[in-house]
Amino acid sequence: MSATWKTFKPYALITPQTLVFLLFLVFPIVMIGVVSFWEFTGYSMVPAFTLDNYQGIFTSDVTFKTYLNTFKFLGLVWLATLLIGYPVAYFIAFHVPKLEWQILLFLVCTIPFWTSNIIRMISWVPLLGREGLVNQVLLGGGLIQQPLEFLLYSDFAVVLGMVHLYIIFMIAPIFNSLMRIERSLITAAEDLGASGLQIFKEVILPLSAPGIAIGSIFIVTLVMGEFVTVRLMGGGQSASVGKLIQTQIGSLQYPLAAANAMVLLAVTMLIIVSVLRVLDIRKEL
Amino acid sequence: MGKFSRRQVLRTSLAAGAFLTATRCASAPKGTPDNPAPGPQVNTNQIKDVTLRLIGTGVSQINDIRDKAQEDLGFKFDMRALSTEENNQIAITQPDQYDIFDGEYFSLPLVVPSGNLQPIDIKRIANYDKIVSFFRTGEFKGMPVEKSQGTAPFKVQYLTGPDSKEFSPTPTDYATLIPFQYNADTLGYRPDLVGRKIETWGELFNPEFKGKTAILDIPQIGIMDAAMVSEALGLMTFGDKGNMTKAEIDQIIEILKEQKANGQFRAFWKTFDESVNLMSSGEVVLQSMWSPAVTAVQAQGIECIYAPLKEGYRGWGGGIGLSKNLEGIQLDAAYEYMNWMLDGWVGAFLGRQGYYSAAPETARKFMSADEWGFWYEGKAATEPIVDPFGKTLAKAGAKRDGGSFEERFGNIVCWNSTMKENTYLVQKWNELIAS
Amino acid sequence: MQDIQVEPVLTLDAVPEDFQAEAKGVSLRDVTKKYGSFAAVQHITLDIAAGSYTCLLGPSGCGKTTTMRMIAGHEDISAGDIYIGDTRVNGLPPTQRNTAMMFQNYALFPHKTVWDNVDFGLKMRGLAIADRRARVSEMLEIVGLTQFSDRKPAQLSGGQQQRVALARALVTRPQVLMLDEPLSALDESLRVKTRGELRKLQRQFGMTFIQVTHNQDEAYSLSDQIVVMDHGRIDQVGTPVEIFSRPLSTFVARFTGDNNIFAGTVTSTVADTQGQFIQLEVPGLGTLLCLGDYGQVGTEAACCIRADLMQIKSLAEAETSGCGPATNRVTARITAVEFTGYVTRVSLAIERNGMEVLYKARTPDWLTTSFAEGQTVVLDWAAADCVFLSH
Repeated sequence: MSATWKTFKPYALITPQTLVFLLFLVFPIVMIGVVSFWEFTGYSMVPAFTLDNYQGIFTSDVTFKTYLNTFKFLGLVWLATLLIGYPVAYFIAFHVPKLEWQILLFLVCTIPFWTSNIIRMISWVPLLGREGLVNQVLLGGGLIQQPLEFLLYSDFAVVLGMVHLYIIFMIAPIFNSLMRIERSLITAAEDLGASGLQIFKEVILPLSAPGIAIGSIFIVTLVMGEFVTVRLMGGGQSASVGKLIQTQIGSLQYPLAAANAMVLLAVTMLIIVSVLRVLDIRKEL
Repeated sequence: MGKFSRRQVLRTSLAAGAFLTATRCASAPKGTPDNPAPGPQVNTNQIKDVTLRLIGTGVSQINDIRDKAQEDLGFKFDMRALSTEENNQIAITQPDQYDIFDGEYFSLPLVVPSGNLQPIDIKRIANYDKIVSFFRTGEFKGMPVEKSQGTAPFKVQYLTGPDSKEFSPTPTDYATLIPFQYNADTLGYRPDLVGRKIETWGELFNPEFKGKTAILDIPQIGIMDAAMVSEALGLMTFGDKGNMTKAEIDQIIEILKEQKANGQFRAFWKTFDESVNLMSSGEVVLQSMWSPAVTAVQAQGIECIYAPLKEGYRGWGGGIGLSKNLEGIQLDAAYEYMNWMLDGWVGAFLGRQGYYSAAPETARKFMSADEWGFWYEGKAATEPIVDPFGKTLAKAGAKRDGGSFEERFGNIVCWNSTMKENTYLVQKWNELIAS
Repeated sequence: MQDIQVEPVLTLDAVPEDFQAEAKGVSLRDVTKKYGSFAAVQHITLDIAAGSYTCLLGPSGCGKTTTMRMIAGHEDISAGDIYIGDTRVNGLPPTQRNTAMMFQNYALFPHKTVWDNVDFGLKMRGLAIADRRARVSEMLEIVGLTQFSDRKPAQLSGGQQQRVALARALVTRPQVLMLDEPLSALDESLRVKTRGELRKLQRQFGMTFIQVTHNQDEAYSLSDQIVVMDHGRIDQVGTPVEIFSRPLSTFVARFTGDNNIFAGTVTSTVADTQGQFIQLEVPGLGTLLCLGDYGQVGTEAACCIRADLMQIKSLAEAETSGCGPATNRVTARITAVEFTGYVTRVSLAIERNGMEVLYKARTPDWLTTSFAEGQTVVLDWAAADCVFLSH
């Protein structure tokens, strides 16, 4: 009895989460995959096996342009979150001595998540709008003659909105890996004659690379599927794959949306695999 | 264990049933009243246990209406406010989620083929003949609305039979929806920032307002706005705006792409709040708008005009339909609700927000003469006009933009539509966004 | 995963002729380090001779590591001056002091190979690649790690990691090498072996070694000079023999060996042919005579006797042998006998005041006696072996 139990115990223990995993992750994705081969008329969908949905995606230059635009957002957001997030994480990890302060500063980074989309959307206007604070300061300072329109409802605004929202996902893993760096390594490097820049390049950067990798994976998955920020900050005029899928779902074109979702899933996985090829994150897990 | 009498068991299970109906929302209360009661007295008790679940868009799911209905009818309502898209999605894919569908007429070509709505037996609707004639017969005093294009309510008002999923072009005894509210939409603008009167849809593409206009980011509605503009400017003509051909869609999307590339639009909006925010912040001075959004801008103390345009209005209408799952006492309750809705209190309530009621003459009984004059007759208000939530919408002496019900409703020239080429439209719309 | 392998020993023959770095002495002049209001190091003045091996010895928190970090330039000096050779190094960065440090737990760069770890200091100094290659390979040969040059630190044993750390510190040919608890992470047998190698290495290289340790055996075996520190101050500076046989304070006596310490009041000082003796009145015990030349009558002081310098006698034997004038004697009862290998440790309670004392005998000697637990015996010790402790 007890021997049998010992054999089955590990299986018994993993069964619940396996079931949850299968039911709420694998099954829905499989369903989306199945639906992506269905036929649909303007009004309804019919179980079938057709490659038309995929053919439509791969032959349309809308797909190409939309992916291009999504990659553009991804690239810019990734770069901005890295360039802003790294110094922030560095500052919190190395220049904020007390844990309480570190936690407090982290909470500050999560503020964008405390507000609803609508509040956020509304609150950008007084800052970036045509008569917003930024334009007024620039106009008042005589730096520009016409208000800058690109500040809001533009690709710039989309990137700004996403960076604002997602930067915590870059900061947190980088902070984590920075905190794991033994301070004696930095002293040792100093002792061996490394300058501040050399210490960063030779010790801190390579040791925080796994954090950058994890942060990048977060950013990739978040930005590739983005549609809310794209719509709100882009004023509905910016395209992303997520938004394209949303428009199709809104018009009840489920099979087409499902096919797009499958392609998006594959593309996102591909990017993540490439990131993992470059950077080893096992140490962090 | 003690002994229970049959009576006790029955009572307990009834109470349990009531509890279930009142709380569950994931599955239909199908069969709750399955236990046929011997006498009418029990029946009355049972209807008190009924909870009807409504789904609809935010504009129609109003707590005041629910509370009043519960008070007057004695059974319960559970309302869910959704976006137009979610509303349609649930109506089509999750029929167990609702008892009453409150949706727009242009959704019907999508929803009805799913078979999730059961035809409404018109004989059970007491005030059906008081509903505005256009909905019932397609006629309205010989005014332009009779020739309006798009998914006009009359075209999808009737089904061919009691179990049909097919629209009937002529009146039958089986209705899809009982109209709830409707309106004539047009362009809204900020007179303080525009500086003159806007009288034609064509102004939306006027370079004078470059970077300060907006249209809807819902393909089916946005395309209709664009069509009104293009026709007004003579850029193109349509066989039927409400049912464009692929070539027409191509052409109008090209026009929109060009305008987008020129930076004519500040934004494409999708939700009510977005349109209000765009307008009140001054980011946009002229845009396609919904009537209550104009009211919301005005309520912030900002001047906003809902322009009567010479080409006419784009109309929309919503109504109430029955889920195919309704039966027995639940179905009875739903009919009671629809009859109550046409009784006038609801109509007056909606009227005070600027919507039109299905049966204006019943609503009139619940409105003051001044309110009726302002909202329906285009007369100057003698007293401040206050909405049901206590907000003053117009000062004494003000007149409704566009005038009387007849002037506004009669001049609807197209309706929000679901076209045959819907799939193609969505594809092209995505192309527009990506351009 | 750890390979089972023989720990390589240092190959000191491989040290090149020209490696002899110019050793420099280190001087601290009234150096103080404060953290806020807390003084970690207070008014330290110390001279470390060029080419010597000095150990800073003391319990944790005594200020020894802070002192070393100040010499290395990893810690600012609050007051005072530090000289390396003739140069005042206050405020100079570590590189400009020509020192190097081997860190506790080694602080090896986990992402770099053994080779790159050793090469690091040279690379940072901008040496030509050919020079770097020659010096790194030479250094790896000295520490016997040539075959491990491509491994990462995590793939090495503790002893190998220690060698890498040593090689990394030595490769820049510092004038002063500082070692922070270099042996504490090794197991006992390896520690003893490595201890000897470190000493040989220092002799061979001829540079000044300053080591921080809390282990007196380590300090005894390695040092030319031991600096005992307590509470941010220097308690005693001396050769290992001096520290061991002539502690100056209760703290040193307690810290550096198995000393029995008796506190009391100085009652008189006596000159003798053997030297200056001091008489100490110990409350509850009586008078003890000890060697010392700076006690003042009436002051509170103490004396100590090493556990191995006492003689144990049976009551009968004590009776017959008697007790000379320059001998201290107490009667005590054996409370415990602990066999620890070469040495047997005997705990006793003094009859008169119940004080615990320790007696240590060579195990072979102990085995020739017949003393047993519970037996009352006499402990004798010569006044010349009993050291006066002024504080």
